[in-house]
Amino acid sequence: MNIVVNAHNTFVATGGCTFDPKKPTVVFVHGSGLDHRSWALQSRWFAFHGFSVFAPDLPGHSLSEGEPIKSIEDMGKWLVKALKVAGCESIHLVGHSQGFLVALEAASSLGTKLKTLTAVASASSIPVNEALVEAAKKSPADAADMLLKWGFGSQSQSGVSAVPGMQPIGIGRQIMSSNPLAIDLIACTRYKNGIKRARNIQIPSNVILATEDKNTPHRFGLELADILNAKTTSIDNAGHMLPMESPKKSLDAIKSFILKNSE
Amino acid sequence: MGKSSFFDLDTIALHSGHVPDAAHGCRAVPIYQTTSYVFENVDEAAALFNIEKGGHIYSRMTNPTVAVLEQRLAALEGGTGAICTASGMSALFVTFMTLCSAGDHIVSASQIYGSTITLLKYTLKRFNIDCTFVSINDESALKSAIQKNTKLVFCESIGNPGLEVSDLPKISRVAHSHNIPLVVDATFATPSLCRPLEFGVDVVVHSATKWIGGHGVAIGGVVIDGGEFDWGASGLHPTLTEPYEPFHGINFWEEFGPSALTMRIRAESMRDFGPAMSPHSAFLLLQGIETLSLRMKQHVQNAIKLSKWLLEQPCVTWVNHPDLPENSTYKIAKRLFPKGAGSMLCFGVKGGRKGGAAFIDALKLSSNLANVGDSRTLVLHPASTTHSRLDDAAMRAAGSSPDLIRVSAGIESITDIINDFKAGLKAVEKAAS
Repeated sequence: MNIVVNAHNTFVATGGCTFDPKKPTVVFVHGSGLDHRSWALQSRWFAFHGFSVFAPDLPGHSLSEGEPIKSIEDMGKWLVKALKVAGCESIHLVGHSQGFLVALEAASSLGTKLKTLTAVASASSIPVNEALVEAAKKSPADAADMLLKWGFGSQSQSGVSAVPGMQPIGIGRQIMSSNPLAIDLIACTRYKNGIKRARNIQIPSNVILATEDKNTPHRFGLELADILNAKTTSIDNAGHMLPMESPKKSLDAIKSFILKNSE
Repeated sequence: MGKSSFFDLDTIALHSGHVPDAAHGCRAVPIYQTTSYVFENVDEAAALFNIEKGGHIYSRMTNPTVAVLEQRLAALEGGTGAICTASGMSALFVTFMTLCSAGDHIVSASQIYGSTITLLKYTLKRFNIDCTFVSINDESALKSAIQKNTKLVFCESIGNPGLEVSDLPKISRVAHSHNIPLVVDATFATPSLCRPLEFGVDVVVHSATKWIGGHGVAIGGVVIDGGEFDWGASGLHPTLTEPYEPFHGINFWEEFGPSALTMRIRAESMRDFGPAMSPHSAFLLLQGIETLSLRMKQHVQNAIKLSKWLLEQPCVTWVNHPDLPENSTYKIAKRLFPKGAGSMLCFGVKGGRKGGAAFIDALKLSSNLANVGDSRTLVLHPASTTHSRLDDAAMRAAGSSPDLIRVSAGIESITDIINDFKAGLKAVEKAAS
């Protein structure tokens, strides 16, 4: 569906079902340079199992109009506004990598509407190598290559796909190459509020990590889980692009947590 | 380096799509000879059927062995995904049927494989999908042929039988300026010699039966989705950008983006038409791919040596290979095929139809048959076989001629191939005298 946020059309994937703000809503926030498609194999399950799904493309990304937002703090504010426009009443926030930082920022403004918080392949801060940022400024495609070479785990690097016939590296590259990767990476690097925000989280939280993650290494994810006092799941044979690399295990870990906290 | 793998092509050919399995550690790709897959429970089954999860349901749609081949070929071409089919023709059919509906139109190169002409000219016409054939490198003819209802431009990277090379960057620019994709049959080249996606092509199709397999024991085809074409911005392909009722109104472009085409072919064509590749065929084709780059080097080397040798023979009237300056698209071939423009060549012999037949009958090593791309050298005299019902004028109009010998140069010793051809040319001399 399309909604208007700050006078710009925003695309929001709803998992293939009509969006109903009265249902508990699972909000999926994508990572740097990505879009709602990184959640293709998690969002549909929730949409067809009693939840509404709200998976936006951040401004200036893929199907959403508007200028890309330059800081995680402002992305968080934008997300809160988008959820208000959509009329969401009961929210489960799920963020991948940078998307979790955005979720952390939004969490502080959502009050009692926010029921749970899930981090997928993330940490409380995501500093980005300067050379990668410079590459992204010059060529998003080259930077996407650098990022995905690190981002995907060994199985995906060997061309193994959870969806028969697909090449997730190719899919990720196509999406990242056409999105404002440099702006996202700079926003990640500059974001310093993560630990403070995480310490203030009082709702049930969930941290899903990949043991082969090089972008937000496993140990940093464990530190985040410790701060959040979160349920923690570590998934083997996968890297930073966890929702695409290991969609079934990611979904299982998100699903079991949200279902348990929806009872 | 591909766009969907960080390994070099030779490594992709051996490894992509498979790691030794946890249960047995199988180094080679196992043949999963099964029709169906046990669901964990009812919810799991429902989720698989509704594309909420990836996985296998029934081997008409997906199979683990076939999936390895698909992932390997997608990586070799640098695409976002691939669908393997029962044959090259079914790969073309599912591509056309996914991008076109009744009332739509295709612009195709005129110099293409005969069965593809039949599909485009007669079979699809029965479903009210029309086709205009053009000389594909003639930019103004191509532009003039594109109509409001044109959904794609189609050509072969190296045309069959004329061996004209399609100027892919130029053709894709024209197609894209009309918001339509370029679909290319790249069978004669394989990704070892040319990766069309790097030249602006949007969808690549192969008959895997040919050089990809190389052994001549398995029929198969593949469609590779480049993932770069913006179906949403084009707005000309409602099959990808509008709700699809059988899957709860799914919008493939919004849902899957760079893999929208692959997902739609899988969800509709493989399910409804059923042109599935068998796991055993996939296994055999995987064996072929492992040596693809090694074979293609030898194929090309032999084809060029054989072409040059034929040029010097007194009873050979002409020789055609894209790497010979005599070929009308020689310069394009040099630009797009730096490793050589394939191993197909044609030549004419003195004595016309009679001379051609004499040549073929005298060969011992080369096989007289209607296939190409085998590791063994294959020859065919169209005037005695595929085009035998045509008179000389009709044959010329079809891009052939009474004296034409079609050769698919194999990877045997070039000395032995030339010795075999010497015997053939001796028979031509005898027939002419």
